[in-house]
Amino acid sequence: MDCLWLVPVFPFLGFVILVGLGGKIANRIARWVGPLAVFGSMLVGLGVVFEYLSHPPQSGVFRQYVFQWIHVAGFRSNMALYLDALSLVMIFVITLVGFLIHLFAAEYMRAERDLGRFFAAMNLFVGCMLVLVLADDFLFLYLGWEGVGLCSYLLIGFWYHEPENVIAARKAFVVTRIGDTAMAVGLFLIYANLQTLNIQSAVQSAVQLWPVGSNLALLVALLLLGGALGKSAQIPLHTWLPDAMAGPTPVSALIHAATMVTAGFYLIARTHGLFELAPVALNAVAWLGASGLLVGGVCALAQKDIKRVLAYSTMSQVGTMFLALGVGAYSAAVFHFMTHAFFKALLFLAAGVVIAAVQHEQDMSKMGGLRKQMPLVFWCFLIGAGSLAALPWLTAGFYSKEMILWEIWSSENGGLIVWLFGLMGAFLTGLYTFRMVFLVFFGSPKTAAKSREKTAIKIPLLFLAGLSMVAGFVEIPATMGHGPWLSTFLHRVFDQPVHKHAGSLSEEWLVQIAATTVSLAGVILAYWLYARRRIRQYGGLSPGWKTSWQRAAESGLGFDAFYQKVVCRPFVGLANRIRRDWLDAMILSVVSMIKIIHKLFSLTQTGKLRHYVMALMLGAVMALTAVVLF
Amino acid sequence: MPVIDWEPMETVFYLSSAIALVSTAMVISRIHAMHAALYLIVSLLAAAVVMFSVGAPFTGALEIIVYAGAIMVLMVFVIMLLNVNREKKNPERKWLRPTAWLGPGMLSFLLLGLLGLLLTEKHSGNVGQGEVEVKQVAASIFGIYLIGVELASMLLMAGVVGAFHLGLKKREPISTE
Amino acid sequence: MSSVPLEHGLWLSAGLFVLGFLGVMIRRNMIFVIMSLEIMLHAAGLAFVMASMRWQQPDGQVMFVFVLAVAAAEAAVALALLMRLFGRSGSLDTDTVGK
Repeated sequence: MDCLWLVPVFPFLGFVILVGLGGKIANRIARWVGPLAVFGSMLVGLGVVFEYLSHPPQSGVFRQYVFQWIHVAGFRSNMALYLDALSLVMIFVITLVGFLIHLFAAEYMRAERDLGRFFAAMNLFVGCMLVLVLADDFLFLYLGWEGVGLCSYLLIGFWYHEPENVIAARKAFVVTRIGDTAMAVGLFLIYANLQTLNIQSAVQSAVQLWPVGSNLALLVALLLLGGALGKSAQIPLHTWLPDAMAGPTPVSALIHAATMVTAGFYLIARTHGLFELAPVALNAVAWLGASGLLVGGVCALAQKDIKRVLAYSTMSQVGTMFLALGVGAYSAAVFHFMTHAFFKALLFLAAGVVIAAVQHEQDMSKMGGLRKQMPLVFWCFLIGAGSLAALPWLTAGFYSKEMILWEIWSSENGGLIVWLFGLMGAFLTGLYTFRMVFLVFFGSPKTAAKSREKTAIKIPLLFLAGLSMVAGFVEIPATMGHGPWLSTFLHRVFDQPVHKHAGSLSEEWLVQIAATTVSLAGVILAYWLYARRRIRQYGGLSPGWKTSWQRAAESGLGFDAFYQKVVCRPFVGLANRIRRDWLDAMILSVVSMIKIIHKLFSLTQTGKLRHYVMALMLGAVMALTAVVLF
Repeated sequence: MPVIDWEPMETVFYLSSAIALVSTAMVISRIHAMHAALYLIVSLLAAAVVMFSVGAPFTGALEIIVYAGAIMVLMVFVIMLLNVNREKKNPERKWLRPTAWLGPGMLSFLLLGLLGLLLTEKHSGNVGQGEVEVKQVAASIFGIYLIGVELASMLLMAGVVGAFHLGLKKREPISTE
Repeated sequence: MSSVPLEHGLWLSAGLFVLGFLGVMIRRNMIFVIMSLEIMLHAAGLAFVMASMRWQQPDGQVMFVFVLAVAAAEAAVALALLMRLFGRSGSLDTDTVGK
């Protein structure tokens, strides 16, 4: 486990190589260097996982001190790595999914120029994300936090020659920046009150010093929550995620499905002790998660672009994770994170193959009947979609979603209303997911598809499909044999009893049946609406039915328009109005004065000899006068 | 005659300086260029007399020979060559309005006053107390100031070459309208 | 012999100079301008002669010879240029000729 530091270092090394070698060479070797770096990281990561599982350290925690970063006047911040069960799960998922996506991208983006830039940014991203989850210190975590934000900006705007890509990248950066600022203020408060930025020490001393429900704890928790909301694209800072689909598909898969958007989730999970000191904040987490779940689901229902459906779906699923965190179901949230990373990455990659096959057409209304033409992709996509919709027994998503819904029902922080929201979310998920499946893969073909599935594309798809099926088996609910391996693994992180069985077995059966029924109902409704020839209306729920709702959902329920009107326009108007302020006027007056003087002097250039001679005379007279008088 | 106590040289000096000044004033205020040239010749002759009266005969003779005899003749020739028509296209009447004299006149008056003021600050001495002979001047020219003579000759050569070159009638004929 | 104060000689020179300068300032006809320049040079040379006669030295007269040479060369070249300019533009007006 002493090689832990290699896990983030390999991608950084890849980044440095690609950046240092310059354009032409980097473009040629990037297809190899990029995936290789993450492969190395994955190997070391797997090694660490095995070692941790076979020889777990004493307290369940392994610390590795790498580098003393800042030591100024009593403020000390180190670059140190902190490995416990939670970060172990995170690095496992990040390196594995990261490697598969890099492999996919090496083939998918083969024809692009600037591959060096692409893989440099991807590697940097993976490195920063690993730093984020392994950081022992809040400042180090913030470094990774900002790093992934930067890489998100770079990668969304990868095709920077199109202005809308640049605008989308800027929007992503600015919106997450708002969250980052809140988080920074939170970190300032933590340091000011607890004199330390080491995560564990801070949380422990907070637990000791601050009483439950204190205002300080609430403030800090809310600020950290603000940061998490920005990064994870939850309400109200979610508007950047759909636009971020302007980036290449592997970018969407890696950053906006599997990893970066889960950074917020990780932050809350890591500082859960702090959040427990402020129940209001924890409630806020739950309710924001629930609303994200529903808003994302509703908007996903009305989207035409396949990637935007997946974006809203990501928002919805991360909302589920937040919901789980908010009711105290930490292990369930981690479980869902893991399964979501697998099936969402799978969905994005498969969608990427579909898009490439139909000549880069992303509008689902122009697709159709692809299941006959691209069978492998169809089955992988179907597995991913099933996992997302939590189809029973064979999909990983089923197990994680069941666990979450059961925890919501049975924990004391949850409640009926929140549970109903979760149920509604499950219904919507089933509906929009299979709407996507039926529109793209069933029906009559609208665009000819040419599929070119190379090995490097097939392997990640198949691997992720496999994982999307079996990854659920690490935590089998009590109703189906009892196998709480994951929660046991994580229990020390979250101080929860090993076997939390708050309700009775029959309750759990009922909850499971309800949830399963609801998801299946969504699937069936999707089939009825979109697969049957009779009502083949893409987009709308049925022809001509409440099209204004449809438009509202398609545009993201008006959040964008609201922000535009309330935040952007006044700001820009104010900036325009104070453009000519008094300081400016002073400086400009110097310029205008010089212009006036210039005009006056120009008048003396008459071009007439006599006038020049007269000027000479004038000068002589003045000089002589000066001599005579003084 | 013993009643009037006057020195002949002084009288000559003052008289000829008056003539010089008056004729110069006429030079610059004439309408026809030929009249102005003739007045200028008169002014130069008067100046030569002034020089004789203060005892510089060589310079006076030189002035008549070269200045009035060569330079002014050259100018007269050019005026005749250019043959600016008498009355029809002579714009001098239009150009020489009295108002044109106002500004420059004032300035010149000012300048003159200043110069005069500067010149009368101290009594420097008297002129015309003796004569400087040609021999002295010649000895000085071919002695100390020889290099100046050489430079002046080079200057003259440059003038000759330049004037010759400029005067060549190659392409554009001189319009004599 | 006679005792004319030096100042009076210099006054003569100054007066001639100012008149020449006035001519340069006022006249638009190029010939007049050239003549006024000659007047000015002449006045300067006269000042030299006056000064030298005060000290009874020949140096001022030598300077006058040089001034004369300069004036001659200048007059020649100026008149040649005048002829060229007149040929090109057909007018002797200093204000409008320099286009």
